[in-house]
Amino acid sequence: MTARRTPFLIAAAAAGALALSACGGGTLGGGEEEAGSGGPIKIGLLVPQSGVYKSLGDDMKAGFEVYLEEHDNQLGGVEVEVILADEGETADSGKAAADKLVKQDEVDVVTGVVSSAVMNGVVDLFETSKIPLVGSNASPTTLTDATYIWRTSYVNDQPGEALGAYVAEQVDGSVYFLAADYQAGLDEVTGFKRSFDAAGGETADEVYTPFPGTTNFQPFLSNAKSSGAEALFSFYAGGAAVEFVKQYDQFGLLGEIDHYSAGFLTEGGVLDAQGESALGTFTAMNYNFDLDNELNASFVEAYEAKTGLKPTTYAMASYDAAHVLDLAIEAAGGEDADSESINAAIGEIEEVESPRGTWTWSEIGTPVQTWYLREVQEVDGGLANVVIQELGEL
Amino acid sequence: MSALQVRRSLLVGLVAFGLLMVPWVFGAFTVSTFTRALVFAVLAMAVNLLTGVAGMPTLGQAAYFGVGAYAGALVSIHWSELGVVQLVVATLAGVVAAVLTGPLAIRGRGVAFLMITLAIGEIGHSAAGRLDAVTGGTDGLSGIRPVVVLPGSEGLVNEGLIYYYVLVVAVLAYLGVGVLLRSPFGLTLRGLRDNEARLRAVGYRTDAYALGAYVYAGGLAALAGSLWASSQRFVAPGDMGFEIAALALLAVIVGGVGSMWGACLGAALVVFTRDYFGQIVSGHAPLLLGILFVLAVYLLPKGIAGGRAQWRSLFPAARAARTTGETT
Amino acid sequence: MTGWFNAHFVSMVDGVAYGLLLFTLAVGLSLVFGMMDVLNLAHGTLYLAGAYAAYALSDGSWLGLVIALAVGLVVGLVGGGLLAAAVAPLQGRGHLDQAALTLGISLIAAEVMVMLFGAEVLPTAPPAALGGSVSLLGHTYPVYRLAFIGIAAVLAALVYLAFERSSVGALVRATVADRDMVRAMGVDTRKVLFGVFGFGAALAAVGGVLGAPIIAPGPGIDERVLVLSLVVVVIGGLGSVRGALLGALLIGQVQTLGVALVPSYAPFLLFGAMLLVLALRPQGLFAPGRA
Repeated sequence: MTARRTPFLIAAAAAGALALSACGGGTLGGGEEEAGSGGPIKIGLLVPQSGVYKSLGDDMKAGFEVYLEEHDNQLGGVEVEVILADEGETADSGKAAADKLVKQDEVDVVTGVVSSAVMNGVVDLFETSKIPLVGSNASPTTLTDATYIWRTSYVNDQPGEALGAYVAEQVDGSVYFLAADYQAGLDEVTGFKRSFDAAGGETADEVYTPFPGTTNFQPFLSNAKSSGAEALFSFYAGGAAVEFVKQYDQFGLLGEIDHYSAGFLTEGGVLDAQGESALGTFTAMNYNFDLDNELNASFVEAYEAKTGLKPTTYAMASYDAAHVLDLAIEAAGGEDADSESINAAIGEIEEVESPRGTWTWSEIGTPVQTWYLREVQEVDGGLANVVIQELGEL
Repeated sequence: MSALQVRRSLLVGLVAFGLLMVPWVFGAFTVSTFTRALVFAVLAMAVNLLTGVAGMPTLGQAAYFGVGAYAGALVSIHWSELGVVQLVVATLAGVVAAVLTGPLAIRGRGVAFLMITLAIGEIGHSAAGRLDAVTGGTDGLSGIRPVVVLPGSEGLVNEGLIYYYVLVVAVLAYLGVGVLLRSPFGLTLRGLRDNEARLRAVGYRTDAYALGAYVYAGGLAALAGSLWASSQRFVAPGDMGFEIAALALLAVIVGGVGSMWGACLGAALVVFTRDYFGQIVSGHAPLLLGILFVLAVYLLPKGIAGGRAQWRSLFPAARAARTTGETT
Repeated sequence: MTGWFNAHFVSMVDGVAYGLLLFTLAVGLSLVFGMMDVLNLAHGTLYLAGAYAAYALSDGSWLGLVIALAVGLVVGLVGGGLLAAAVAPLQGRGHLDQAALTLGISLIAAEVMVMLFGAEVLPTAPPAALGGSVSLLGHTYPVYRLAFIGIAAVLAALVYLAFERSSVGALVRATVADRDMVRAMGVDTRKVLFGVFGFGAALAAVGGVLGAPIIAPGPGIDERVLVLSLVVVVIGGLGSVRGALLGALLIGQVQTLGVALVPSYAPFLLFGAMLLVLALRPQGLFAPGRA
C-alpha cells in the first residue's frame, strides 16, 4: 500500500521551485534592478490582437514598425527590442497584458493602447512603476494630470468638438446621438455637444449601445429613424463600426438622415468592409492619407510598401510615437537612458514633425493639431475619405 | 501517531513551507500569479460549497465575487485603507446580496438552479457595467489605494507582501470552511446533496439549509473579491462575468467536487495554465485550458482529489513494480 | 396605437428573424438535454463553425451559399457525432462532467478557429442577390433577413412536423419521456442519441451558415450564442420542440422590440425575462410530461 508517490511528487515540485530561483530574483530579498544597464532598450507594444479593435492594433503595429525600419531598428541611436502584448478588448485583458509587460518583461517604455477603458485601468500601473507610456490612440478626457502618460493621438472629445459647430450650422433640425457605451463614446458625445450646444444645436435624443456586445443595432436605428431627426452623430470603431454602417444602410437611414461621426467610423480596413453603405458619411479626423506634405508622402509610400494599404490615423499616431521616443531616447543619453530620464526628455520635446503636419505638446501631454472634415466618396473606382475642409485647431 | 497521519502532516508541512517560500524564490510576475491563484482558490471554495457539498452546481458566484471586489474597492477609495475593514465590509456586502437573491435562486434545483444563478451572474455583470457612478462602468474602478495591514503602517506595494496578506486571509478562509464542514450544518448540507427528498421526509427544512449554504458561499466569494481588489488594485465588470463563473466551476470539477483542498488545487491549476503557461504559448491560453479540462474529465473522473484509485489506474507500470516486493 | 405599431414594426419583424435563428440553435440543444440529460456546452461552437464556413465560402453567389450550406451540414453532422462519441463514456456521471468536457472541447475548437481565421469579428455578406433593402409597409428592411425568415420558418415547420407527426419523432419523444421504457421495447437508445445529437448539431451549423450575415463569426460569439440557446431552452422547457420554438420567438422579440422600447435596460432584458419565467414556472413554459 503506498502513497509514496504523492509526497515524492510534492518534494520534486519543491526542489524544482528552488531550482527555478536560479533563474529569477525573488521579489523579497532579491537584488534590485540596475538602472540604465546598457543593452537594447525594451519597448512594450500594447495593442489589441484580438477582438473588435484588432484592425486598429494591426495598424499601430505596422506604423511603429515602419519608423523602426526607416531607422535601422534604432531609436535615439540605440538598438530596441519590441515586446508585443495583446490588449484584448476589455479593461481587464488590457491591464493583465500591461502587468506582464511591466512586471515580467520589465520594459523601459510602453506604447500603444487602443481602448480608453484599458487606458483608465493602466494609469495607476504606469504612474506607480514610473514607466512612461506613449499612448498612440486612447485618450480619455479624465486623464489630465498624469506624469508618465503621453498621447500622440488626440483627446477623446476632440473629434466631436471639432464637428459640433459645423453640424449646428449645416443641419436645420435636431440631431440624434448614438454611441458605444464606454468612456470613449461618452467623451466623443460630450465634446460634440460642447460646441454644438454653444452654436445653438438641437438634440433629439442621446442613446448609448452596450459595449462591446452589441452587433444588432436594428432597435436603436429604428428609434433614431422614428425620432424625426435630420442628422445623426455616432461613435463606433473597428468591428462595431462595420456593422453599424452596414445596418445604417440596410434599415434605410442612409440618404434620409445625414450621418456625422468621429473619423474612426470609416478609418482604414473598416471602409472596405462597409462598402457602398459608407458613401456620403461625414467624419472628423486629425489626419488623412492625402494630406499634402513631404513627410506624409514618404510615410504613405513606406506604409503602402509594407502593408499594401493606405495608412490610417492609428498608424500615423504610432509612427509619431516612435518618433517621439527617438527624440527622447537620444536626448536622454542613448545607451544610458532609463525610464525616468526618457520620461523627462519626452516632456522637453519642442515640436514633432509628423505626417499630419507639425505639432506641439499641450499642457496635458497631447498634441495641439488641425482637424479636418472628410466625406466618404468614390475615388478611382474604390472608396476613400476625402478631405473637404479644415475644422480648426484643437 | 499512525503512519498515515505522519505522512499527512509531512505533506501539509511541505505545502506550507512551499507556499511561504514563494516570494523569496520567484520574480514579481510569478508571485502575482500565485496571488491570483490564491484569490481564485477562495472563490473556488465558495463554488465548491454549493456544488460539491450541498449538491447545487452554480454559475453565479462571480456576481458575489464582484460585489465584494467593488465593495472593498469603494471602501479603500472613500473610507479606509485598512485591510480588515475592507474584508469585513466586503463580506457583509456579499452576505446581504446573497440574502436578497438567494430566495429566488433556491426555488430551483439542478438545471433550474444553475440557470438562475447564471442569470444572477449575468445581471450582476451588466449592472456593474451600467452603474457608472458607483462602479466606474465598463472602464472599471481604479485608484484603489494599497491595502494597509496594521493601522499607521505603509500600504502594501511589494508583490511579495501582498502575496503574504492574501495567503493569510486565504488560509483563514480555508480553516473557516473546514470548521463549517465538520459542523452539524455541514453534515446536513451533504445530506442535501445526497438525497434531499429523504432529508425533507425526516423533517428538515431543506430550503432553509440551502439558503444558509447560499449565503455562506456568497459571503466567502465576496471575501475573495475584496482580496482581488486589494491585490490587483483594479476592478472591472469582466471580473464578475460568465468566464470567471465558468472557470471557477471547472476548477472545482478538475480538483474534485466536494473536496476543499481539491478545489484550491484546481483553482491554482486553472490560473497557472491561463496566466503562466498561456503566456508562453503566446496568448492561446484557452487552448491549454480546454486541453486541461478534457484530460481531467477523461483521466481523473473524480478530480485530482478524488482518491488514489484513479491515480493508480493511470500508472499501471508503477503498480506492477510496487507489487514486486516493495515495502511501505 | 397604430403610431406605436408603426414605429416598432421593423423591430417586431426583426424579432421574428432573430427568434427563428435562435430556434435553429436551441432545438438541438433542447432535445439532447431533455432526452439524454446531456449538457452540451459546445453547441455555440457548432454555430461558429457554420458561420466561419459561410464567411470562407459564401462569396456572394448562389453557388457559394450552396457550397457553404453543404460544408456546414457536413461539419455539423460530423461535429455532432464526435461530441456524442466524446460524451458517451461519461454515461451516468452527471451534468458537471459533461459540462467540463464539452466546455473544454469548445475552448479547443474555438482556439483552432481563431488560429485559422484570425481573431477579429468577420462581417459576412449575404448572397449579392439578397443584399439590398426593400420597402415593407413604408419601412426599409434588409432583403436577406426577410428571406431568412422565410427559410427558417420552413425549416422550423419541417422540424416541428417531423417531431410531432412522424414515427421517428414519436420515438424521439418517447425517449425524452421514458428512456428505459423505450430501451425495454428493444430500441437501441444509443442510436437515437447519436441521431438526435447529429441532427441538432447539423441544424445549429446550418443556422450558422444562414445566420452569419445577422450574427457574424468571431471570438466570443460561440459563448454568446451558447448563452442565448441555454436561455431559450430553459424558458421553453427541456426536450420540447414547441417550447424551443415559442421560447426562441419570445427571446427574439425581447432582444429587438424589448431593446427598442427600453434601450437603457438592454443588457438586463434577456436574463430578466428568463428569471421571470423561471420564477413562475421553473420547469419551463412547455416542458413535456416526464414519466
